[in-house]
Parts: sequence; C-alpha cells; structure tokens
Amino acid sequence: MQFRLEKRREPSKVMLYATPVAAVLLTMIVGAIIFSAIGYDGVGAVREIFLTPLTNSFKWQDLGVKAAPLIIIGVGLSIAYRANVWNIGAEGQYIMGGLAATWVALSTHGMGGWWTLPLMMLAGVLGGAAYAAIPALLRTRLNVNEILTSLMLTYASVQLIYYLVRAPWKDPMGMGFPQTKRFAAEALLPNIFPGTIVHAGVPIAIIVALVAWFIMSRSVFGYQMRVVGAAPHAARYGGFSENKTIWLALLVSGGLAGMAGMLEVAGPFQRMVPGFPTNYGFTAIIVAFLGRLNPLGVIFAGIVMAITFVGGEVAQTTIGLSSSATGVFQAMMLFFLLAGDILVRYRLKRVAPQEARA
Amino acid sequence: MTSELIIAIIVTVVGASTPILIAALGELVVEKSGVLNLGVEGMMLVGAITAFVVLFTTGNHYLAILCAAGAGVATSLIFGFLTLSLSANQTATGLALTIFGTGFSALAGQGYSARPVTLMGPLFPADLAAHPIWRVLFGYSALVYFSFAMVIGVWWFLKKTRAGLILRAVGENDLSAHSIGYSVVGVRYAAVAFGGAMAGIAGACFPLLLTPQWAERMTAGRGWIAVALVVFASWRPFRLLAGAYLFGLVMTMELYAKASGGPLSVIPAELWAAMPYLATVVVLVLISLRRDASSNAPACLGRPFLPTN
Amino acid sequence: MTLTRRSMLKAGVAAAALPLLGSKAFAQSEPLKVGFVLIGTVNDNGWNFGHSEGAKYMKAELGDLVAEPTIVENVPEGPDCERVLRELAQSGHKLIFATSFGYGDYVIKVAQQFPDVKFEHATGYQRSDNVATYNARFYEGRAVCGTVAGHMSKTGKAGYIGSFPIPEVVMGINAFVLAARKINPEFTITPVYISTWNDPAKEADAARAMIDQGIDIVAQHTDGPAALQVVEERGAVGGFGQGADMSAFAPNAQLTSIIDHWGPTYVESAQAVIDGTWASADRWPGLKEGEVQIGPYGPTVPEDVAAAAEAVKNGQIDGSLHIFTGPINDHTGVERVAAGVTLTDAELLSMDWYVEGVIPPA
Repeated sequence: MQFRLEKRREPSKVMLYATPVAAVLLTMIVGAIIFSAIGYDGVGAVREIFLTPLTNSFKWQDLGVKAAPLIIIGVGLSIAYRANVWNIGAEGQYIMGGLAATWVALSTHGMGGWWTLPLMMLAGVLGGAAYAAIPALLRTRLNVNEILTSLMLTYASVQLIYYLVRAPWKDPMGMGFPQTKRFAAEALLPNIFPGTIVHAGVPIAIIVALVAWFIMSRSVFGYQMRVVGAAPHAARYGGFSENKTIWLALLVSGGLAGMAGMLEVAGPFQRMVPGFPTNYGFTAIIVAFLGRLNPLGVIFAGIVMAITFVGGEVAQTTIGLSSSATGVFQAMMLFFLLAGDILVRYRLKRVAPQEARA
Repeated sequence: MTSELIIAIIVTVVGASTPILIAALGELVVEKSGVLNLGVEGMMLVGAITAFVVLFTTGNHYLAILCAAGAGVATSLIFGFLTLSLSANQTATGLALTIFGTGFSALAGQGYSARPVTLMGPLFPADLAAHPIWRVLFGYSALVYFSFAMVIGVWWFLKKTRAGLILRAVGENDLSAHSIGYSVVGVRYAAVAFGGAMAGIAGACFPLLLTPQWAERMTAGRGWIAVALVVFASWRPFRLLAGAYLFGLVMTMELYAKASGGPLSVIPAELWAAMPYLATVVVLVLISLRRDASSNAPACLGRPFLPTN
Repeated sequence: MTLTRRSMLKAGVAAAALPLLGSKAFAQSEPLKVGFVLIGTVNDNGWNFGHSEGAKYMKAELGDLVAEPTIVENVPEGPDCERVLRELAQSGHKLIFATSFGYGDYVIKVAQQFPDVKFEHATGYQRSDNVATYNARFYEGRAVCGTVAGHMSKTGKAGYIGSFPIPEVVMGINAFVLAARKINPEFTITPVYISTWNDPAKEADAARAMIDQGIDIVAQHTDGPAALQVVEERGAVGGFGQGADMSAFAPNAQLTSIIDHWGPTYVESAQAVIDGTWASADRWPGLKEGEVQIGPYGPTVPEDVAAAAEAVKNGQIDGSLHIFTGPINDHTGVERVAAGVTLTDAELLSMDWYVEGVIPPA
C-alpha cells in the first residue's frame, strides 16, 4: 500500500481545525515516550506542561496575562502575513511601543490624570507603527526586503532600551540599577478582577482579535489584504495598490505590537527594565502560524503557547524538569504543527504501486 | 599604537570573525538556493555542544569538528524536511529550529559545564605560529584557514561550476528550474544540509577557538549576526569575508577601546552593539539604490516551492 | 563530615522538640518546602551555581526537616518571575529565595498575597513583614584579591570585566583597587562593562583586549571561567575565580578565588521558619560568617604575598580592617571620605562613584 500527496482544490476546513489539535496531542505522546526513554519522568512532564495549567484554576489568570500580548501581536502579524508582507520585527515594534509609552509615563509623572493611560496607549501604538514604517518605506520606495530590515531593527531597539534605562531614564532612587522609576498610579493598568493579576490588556486582546476577525472577513480592507496576498496580479487589475497594502500591513502589525508593548509596560512590568524584551514578538510569529493566520485561531494559538510557558514552570517546580526540556517540548510541538500544515492543502491518497512510481 | 598591539588586535579580530564567517557562508549558499533558514543560532548551539562533548571524550579536535558538522546537518534536515518536503513556512520553522537547538544543547550539555578542555592549537609549526610578527599570518588553528578556503570554495562553486549555476537558478526562479527538469527540492536539500554543516562547524569554533568550555547559549546571538551578514554582503562570498571582518572588528574594537580607557570609549556601548545591525540596514538601502546589484538577491528567497501539478 | 554534622543537628532538634511533643512533633513530620528562583541555570559555574550549592547544603544539613529543594531556573526579571513566585507559594513552599535583583518588585507584590509564606530577596533593598533581604559582602573578598594583585602585578594595571555598573560591581572594583594601592600607590584598574551576564566568548575577548594593552591582572564580576582561561593561555600574571574555585580551568593563572557559600544562610533561614522564629531583616554577612570564602592560593603566589592577603582577610574577619575607611579620594582626586570615617552600609549599597586609581569608563 502506498500513498501520494494530492493537492486539494480548496484548503480543507476539517484539517484546518484538526491539525493543530493533532499536533498538540502528538507532542504529548511522542514527548512522553522520548523523555521517558532518556530517563526523565515523561508522563509527568507532559501532565505538568500541558494539563496542569488548564486543570488548576489558579493558573488561568497566568494564562490570560501571558497570552494577551501574544494574541495582540499575533493578530497584527496574521493580517500582514495574509497580505504576503513578512514583518518579523514585531519584537522591535513591541519594544518601541513600550518605550514610547514609558516616555509618556515618565514625562507626565506626578501630574497625570484619567488621560494618562489613553495617551500612553496612543504613544505605544504610534511608536510601534513608526518603527514598522521604516521597513515599509524601504520596501515601497527602494524594494528592500522587509524580512531583513525588520529583523535588524529589532536588535537595534534592544540596545536602545539598555541605553535609556542605563543613562537618561535611570531611576535616581533605584540604587544605581538600570531601570526607570515605577510609574505613577495613573500610568498603571487597572486590574479587571480584584485579587487577580488579570489586567485590562486581557480583554483588550480578545476585543482586538474579534475586531480584526470581523474586519478581515467582512470589510473591503480585509478583502484587499487577502487578495493582494493570494493573487497580487489579480489585485492590481482590481485596482488595489500593492504599495498601499504593504504600508497598511506594516502599520497595522507594528501598531498592534506597539499596543502590546504599552500594555505590558503599564501592566505587568510597571516600569521599563532591561528585561522588557521577552521574545513576545518572535513567539507571536509562531502564534500567527499556529492560528492559521486567522484572528480567531490566534486566540487559541496564544493560549496554547501560554500553556507551554506556564506549564514549563510548573514542571520545574513540581517534578524538577529543567527549563531546557520545556524548550525541547515547545520546539517539538511547533515542528508537528508546521508539519501538519501540509494536510490542509494536500490530501493523502492511497494509490496502486505502479501509479505511485509514475 | 605599536605594531605588536596591531598584530594582537588582528589576532583577536580573526578569532571573533571566524565563527560568523563560517556560519554566514553556509547561510549564503542556503539563501542562494532560495531558502531562508533563520535557525542558524540553534544549529550553531547544537554544533557547539557536540564539538565540546566529542572533544572532552576523545581529546581529538578534528573529530570534534567533524561531529559538529554532522550534528549541524542532522539539525538542518529537520528544517529541510518541514520546509522542503512539507512546504511549511520557512520563517516560522527557522525560529522553531532555534528554540529546539537552544533547548536541546542545554539538555545535552547538563553535566558538562564544569569541565575544561583545550583550545585547538595552531596549524603551523611553532617557529612560524609563535613568531612575534609572522603569527599574524601563521598563528591560527585549522578552523581559521578552513574559513578562508571556504570563501574561495563557495565563490568558485557558485560562479564557476555547473552545480552552482543550477543552485542559483533554483533560487532565482524555482518554477522554470523545475520545468527544465532540475529537482528543486533536491538542490535545496543539499544547500540546507551544507548550511547545517557550516553552522555546526561555526558552533564548534566556540569551545575550540574562543573559550575552551561549554556554557549554555554560549553563541550569544552570533547566529543572528551571521544572518545579517549574508544580507550585508549582498550574497557575495568575498564581500562576506570583508563584512565578517568588519563586524568582528567592530565587536573587538569596542573591547580594546574600553580596556585602553582611551577616548574611543566615549561612544556608548549600546551604540557599538547596535552597529552591525544598523550597518546592515544601511547596506540594504545602498544595494537597492544601485540598480544592477539588487538582482543579486535570490528572487525566491523565503518562498515555498509549490509546483502546480 | 557533613554526615556527622547533619546527624548532630537532627539530634539537637529532636531534643529541643521533646518537651513540646504533641503538635510540634506532628508538624515536623511534614518537611518544610523551600523554593529557589534563579535567573540563569545551575550549570553556570558562578552565581546560580553558588545558590544551587547552597540549596544542596541546606538539604544536607537539615535532612528530613526540609523537602528536596525546588529550584526554578532561567526565570527572567519581569512578570514571569511573579508567576513563578506565586506558583511556588501556591504549591506549599513556605520559604522562597529570589536570587536576582530584578525580582524585587514582584517579591513584594506576591508576598502581600501570601502573608504566611516567607520570602528572601538576594541583593535587594525592599522589605516587608514577610520579605527579608540578604546579600554577601563580596567586597571583602575583593579586598583580599586586590592585595594579591597589588603585590604581584608587574605593570601595576588591572582590568575588571563587569556586566553593568550596578553598585555591587562598583563597590567590588573600588575595594579591589583600594587594597591594591595600599601595596602599590600607582596601581590602576580599568573596568570594561560588556552589557551581558552570559557571553563567554565576549568575556574572553575582553580579557585578550586587556592583556594586549599591558594589563596583567584580570578580575571579573561575570560568571564563568572564560577570562581566567585567557589569562592562563596568554601567561599573564593572573586572575581570580568568581563565585567558585575555578582552578580546574586555570591551574596556574588563578591566584585565588572568591567562593560564594550561601549554605549557612539558607540553613539559618529554614531553621528559623521551622522554629517559627523567622523575622524580616536585612542580612549582609561576609568573610567573618563564612558566607564569603577565599579559596586556595595558586602555585605562583609567593608565601609572603599569601600571608599579606591572609592578613587582610583576617583583619576583616576580626573587624580591625574595613576597606572603605577614609581617607578615600574619588577618581578625580577629590576627597570623598575623610580620614577615620567608614562608609555606612547604605552608602556602600548605593555606591555610584569610583575611587582614585579607577580609570572610569564612559
């Protein structure tokens, strides 16, 4: 019995939803076997990493807080990637959003009011969008590959944080440590549920995803993004400007990354520190793909990634699984997910032996 | 500056430049075939731990390099299988490969951190290698000469051989290469494996050439610098050589300037550290301003090969 | 040795519990769960390794009184650490050590939610009812190293590889050069900050840059043996192990080492929690308490130099010597500490100026 891959006329809806679930299940099974084989408690590792964060209700707030920035950035990236615009510098745009919001918080320190947070939000979105405008300008004017420019700019922005918190923005009362002062109360995100750590960024993430889903599936803008991405030539005939799409894709994804940066610095961080870049921008690339470039799928994907992060820490505290093992689990899951992609576009067809050779 | 100091600086620059040069040469070939593998950092870490463990166990530097190359190939084939056989997205797969390499190397390296090994000695006899002046040419280990040889080798392969022509054709226009009858996937597999071998050897440079120990994440982001370098060099091997040494010089001069306490150390450390990346953006702009050069970028870079059969 | 000490300790605790039998004895059947939060991995040969050794020591000393310590590695300084701290508190850990400065805000925050859990924050300054801070007087060890350097350096120039110019590092540099200048008044030290805690290849290159420019003593504040290995390879005068004895990596170049020995502090805290006597405080032990130790002297260190170093060590142990006693000038030559005056702990912990002999970085 032999199999052959055959391209589907339309991507399979069933596989679209089934493959991510299958990938997670496969990771759990294969992971348990491999880790048991090399002398770890494989079953325990799988239980702690994948199940405990879901079964322990104490962990839900952690999942929400960890997933929120991944979802917001992932939604922006999924829009850009739909349009075939490969912004992989979301980490840098997230950083610039956080820095812009920090600048507002520091310069209004002690004289803020109800308007501080909206202003920080505006600054964050603009900061992220402005940083994404550089690759957009270079791509549309000079045809410079945005994958490379956005990536390079990310590494430059990390150094900008180090410089700012070490020198001009350093907290004078911080014992010389490189960090800004703690934001004033008006510049901190309120908690949604008292007694938890769930801040306003969590519902905002869900709203962003829902709005994006609505726009992408129901509006001319969404249609333009999808058409330019899927069939650039047809789009040109249809009167959609490719350059305009590139600009929109980068500004939207950069702006959302900047928004996530603002929410993180005003929520969990409460001040700018050198540890602010936490790879959310890179992880969100994986989240966008895991969510099949669909804003609703990104919600699911963001939560799955959050589970592995939170679960990885649980596994360290409960069964002493080292943090590197969690990394291997995460990578394995991503490999299975990416491998499963093919089943969406192709089907496995059983063929007679002689036909297979042809 | 005395001549001894200049020679000493050159020797340090050579050390700092060699791993990024080797890794970038591999990535250059990969990208010329139309594939963007962002997993260089992960493959380097797998190479580094493999080289360390082999060296610690056998004491043989050459065997360590060979095994590091093999481990790099094995790691790169995960990427190859996903992106070439299953046409998964290259950006996401490359990032996943780096997560894998970081985690795997740390897991494999547990218990090897407090173990010393020895650096690889110079290739030439001590009369030349330790000579106060001639050491600038002859004072290096085989890895350094290997990196130079590979610059010429990669240039010769891409420009002068039929296989190199096919590889470039596959990267330039995969559909026409396919219609002429070349195996696009086969060529790209070979390129990805070569990139893996080179990244593995680049990783081996860390315990063998720079600091004889194993430390988790010891490549510290140099795989990303290698990715930047390929673009910086606009996919040309000799520019890559110049670029690697320029990056190495920037990284090294920061430290020499600071250690001298002299006037250069007025430049904030962060600007030094950001320079390779900013320079790459500037070079990208400059390339695109020149009409002829932009064509050197492989047209199919990062796109999956999807023949409509 | 450990075995006998452990059994003696256990016997002692059992005897103390005798009069109270009942509930107290019952409570002891449930061992205390202690958690450790680390910024890196236990395999770093330095800071994090030291803390994990301390955790092992605590377990060995207290035996069945404590559960197998829980160590969480690679926890970034940010919201992720808040989650880990809460995870530890929720899973029944009653004593939690947070071992990096950047955890401070989150320790305070989580401690409010778990008033019955005791937290201890290394290198921090924020305390509350159930948050204590602790650190080690590493500068005392630096003064011993500086003494060795002052005697042995031929060029009178040392380099110091640090990550970031935080007070801890500045204090160490100052102590080192103050001690060295008591031997050689012309002695200078050049700090090189490399903006990372873990890039061994960069540390090695920094050491090469120093040695190539006439520096013959390389001290470091970063983890790992990279710089020492370069000193060994180049045959410069020497360097110092940081956090642990690194003579395996540099048998000739390591002149001596500063060894972090957190174990006794951890035993003391765990015992206090078990006894119900734990109280929030700021602890800053050093050579005297054995939390900072000086490793063996290297083969190239002459006996008189070792003796001079031991004298500095013993002077700090018996209190006759405090390296930060005036007169001390800053690097521009202006007197900052008058003769006979000693800097207070608070002044040390916020030190942001260099003493005379430091060539200040930009």
